[in-house]
Amino acid sequence: MRISKFTRTAVASAICSGALLTVSMPSQANKDLDRLSKEDNNWAMQTKDYSASHFSKMTQINTHNVQHLQPVWSFSTGVLNGHEGGPLVVDGIMYVHTPYPNNIFAIDLDEPDKILWEHKPKQSPAARAVACCDVVNRGLAYAPAGEGYPATIFQNQLDGHIVALNAKTGELLWKMENSDIAMGSTLTIAPFVAKDMVIVGSSGAELGVRGYATAYNIKDGKQAWRVYATGPDADIKLAKDFNSHNPHYGQFGLGLKTWEGDAWKIGGGTNWGWYAFDPDLDMLYYGSGNPAPWNETMRPGDNKWTMTIWGRDVNTGEAKFGYQKTPHDEWDYAGVNYMGLSEQLVDGKMTKLLTHPDRNGLVYTLNRENGDLVNAFKIDDTVNWVKKVDLKTGLPIRDPEFSTHMDHEAKGICPSAMGYHNQGIESYDPDKKLFFMGTNHICMDWEPFMLPYRAGQFFVGATLNMYPGPKGTLGQVKAMNSVTGKFEWEIKEKFAVWGGTTATAGDLVFYGTLDGHIKALDSRNGKELWKFKLPSGVIGHPITFGHKGKQYVAIYYGVGGWPGVGLVFDLQDPTAGLGAVGAFKELAHYTQQGGGVMVFALGY
Amino acid sequence: MHTIKFLIKALCLGASLAATQAYAEVSKPLKVCAAENEMPYSNKAGEGFENKLAELVGSALGRKIVYVTWSDPRYYIRDSLDKGLCDLAIGVDKGDPRLLTTQAYYRSGYVFISRETDNLDLKNWDSDALRKAKRIAFVPETPAEVMLRAIGRYNDMFNYSHELVGFKSRRNEYIKYEPSKLVSEVSSGHAEVAALWGPSAARYVKASTTPLVMTVIPDDNVRADGQKVGSHYSSSMGVRKNDPTLLARLNKVIADNQSEITELLEKEGIPLVSEPDASDKS
Repeated sequence: MRISKFTRTAVASAICSGALLTVSMPSQANKDLDRLSKEDNNWAMQTKDYSASHFSKMTQINTHNVQHLQPVWSFSTGVLNGHEGGPLVVDGIMYVHTPYPNNIFAIDLDEPDKILWEHKPKQSPAARAVACCDVVNRGLAYAPAGEGYPATIFQNQLDGHIVALNAKTGELLWKMENSDIAMGSTLTIAPFVAKDMVIVGSSGAELGVRGYATAYNIKDGKQAWRVYATGPDADIKLAKDFNSHNPHYGQFGLGLKTWEGDAWKIGGGTNWGWYAFDPDLDMLYYGSGNPAPWNETMRPGDNKWTMTIWGRDVNTGEAKFGYQKTPHDEWDYAGVNYMGLSEQLVDGKMTKLLTHPDRNGLVYTLNRENGDLVNAFKIDDTVNWVKKVDLKTGLPIRDPEFSTHMDHEAKGICPSAMGYHNQGIESYDPDKKLFFMGTNHICMDWEPFMLPYRAGQFFVGATLNMYPGPKGTLGQVKAMNSVTGKFEWEIKEKFAVWGGTTATAGDLVFYGTLDGHIKALDSRNGKELWKFKLPSGVIGHPITFGHKGKQYVAIYYGVGGWPGVGLVFDLQDPTAGLGAVGAFKELAHYTQQGGGVMVFALGY
Repeated sequence: MHTIKFLIKALCLGASLAATQAYAEVSKPLKVCAAENEMPYSNKAGEGFENKLAELVGSALGRKIVYVTWSDPRYYIRDSLDKGLCDLAIGVDKGDPRLLTTQAYYRSGYVFISRETDNLDLKNWDSDALRKAKRIAFVPETPAEVMLRAIGRYNDMFNYSHELVGFKSRRNEYIKYEPSKLVSEVSSGHAEVAALWGPSAARYVKASTTPLVMTVIPDDNVRADGQKVGSHYSSSMGVRKNDPTLLARLNKVIADNQSEITELLEKEGIPLVSEPDASDKS
């Protein structure tokens, strides 16, 4: 780990200039960030708040006037690859980030004509070459000033580094190497601030990178803890009472026992999605991704703890519970999607919950204090690899017709490897008790091959042919109750709704589409009330914020990511991008590359 | 009298017709299924040793060689040879069940390649150097992978084997492992050993400015379950299953020109091993 020489200088000058505003109490910054995130003028973290609610209490824009939303200003980032995540807005400053080369722009909302400061890192071009699914970045994180550090902006770079910048000036405070680009390991995940730490995940499971999550001290970038997804319990960091509430999930020694030999060393389980945090319980939630290698015959066993929903003590990283959703994965259903926290009645009792729409097409709701499985229902009734989840055992009851073994072809597996839900952050309306989720409705054929060449050499692989699911379109938006599994409404979208949703107390839910629209639906019934065609397709999420008494909506445009990989890299072979090129070949008839942020407000 | 004359005329006509037919066939170009870019075997510029062998065959048969090239080795037999777009594959395993194969025109083996100055003792897969090596360059899904698993080093080499193709996903596409690159990994010092099919590496070992050692791995390897892992293979030419005529002609070409063929292969640097006894199953 290299510690930047800027650290001491920056901290010293920050202290001298009186930039520290807080009382010296441990994790005061945590409470400040929590407070900032609940002020709806701000959008202080990618997930909006620690519950990942993506919900604003603002009602200035509502179902009666949303048709008057108009663009009021825009900013082109100068980068053309896929723009995931969203801008941050804190105390009147908007922070904009880009895909590789991972530039950052700060814009003062009082003077949106100018760039307040910018940061343009120099990275190894090797980073571009090894990224698998477009050179995306899921966003920045913000920490208000704390004990020993100024207000800080964090970013993970594609080349595996995390940087900490002074939020006022953009000056580099420190930089750490989290992932080794020489191993093909890049970073696309957004950093996540909790207490006096910033937490970073990992990428590269299919290359044999053993998944890990790391917490760094905000003030100097020193490592606070690191936890792995596979291997010895000490590496995975299991609490002494790990899964004591649900011992049937599995407890100790399984990071080794559910693998053959030392296969756990290349077992994967990276996490590049999203975190959620409960400041009362001091618990951090996230999901670990897929096991490696992709060929399931090469890794007999349940492959724990890949594909697992984690509840960890944020101070130490210790896991209180871990629930594996897809034991011995066969489909690439990487378990890294977002975690939405809510409090709802379960059997008459108000319960702290987490809800997680997995790639595998199931929406899981767990008691987030002890890991109890409350519900696991299909996000669409066409999910077929699993018949249902046995809520008593927590195990999926699989349908062998839709497994992906090397000895049989399978047609119409739903979801495809892209999942019925991917990296978008969704929204929760606490008054309606509804989650609003965009989905992918994509299924696939699986054609394994084992073809001889010469001198004992074979070519072993599988062709994935992806296409719209049985309902005919590539995407949907749905409103659902995560405890009962009941759907309130659903609408179809031509393309996968990749980027996520944001909901407001004005009875609205906003999202962007791959072909380039930002839309507002009535969150009570799914009726489309407004849309606007952006310069390029959307794979990020909208935000809403306030400035000088006016409510705004903003969104990145810039098509790309996995669904856009054919467009971005001009690929014609339908099997390229693991089949995504075939699934999304229509997209090029609707949109082209772009990159920027568009800001909307009521036009009167 | 007329009958006999007629018969003689008929016979002569018949004979000359047959001769014309035979002449027409041999004067047709010989369509060879060859790789567009699969060195050292073949490329579009004809620089591979299988290109040279094709020319030898064409010359022996008195036929012009025309290449019908493929870029994906997984499907060329199904999509080109079996469909009649081309008629001959120069280098296939003897006994490849998808084809009729000639007698073997050479036999070779997998080799260990290392730097002369390192003085590594690489007798076989049990060698200590392989247990200690930080990087062993190999091509996935070859016997070298099976043996790496057998000696418990596969997981250690997993990430490196992806590095060799720039971390590109090989799951559903043909991603080529370049023998020249794997040899250069050893000559540059990035890897201590490469375990490759000898004929694929020979010319690069020969041409390396860093002196390299290439030793044939003995053919007595077994997996953890006791099953034999063959590392010596005989190479033949292959034709469609419905083309015994061409097969017979090729067998004759090989029999008549074996020493020239062997000379070509030795010039390439290919390590040749003897055919097993007729009683051997391999």
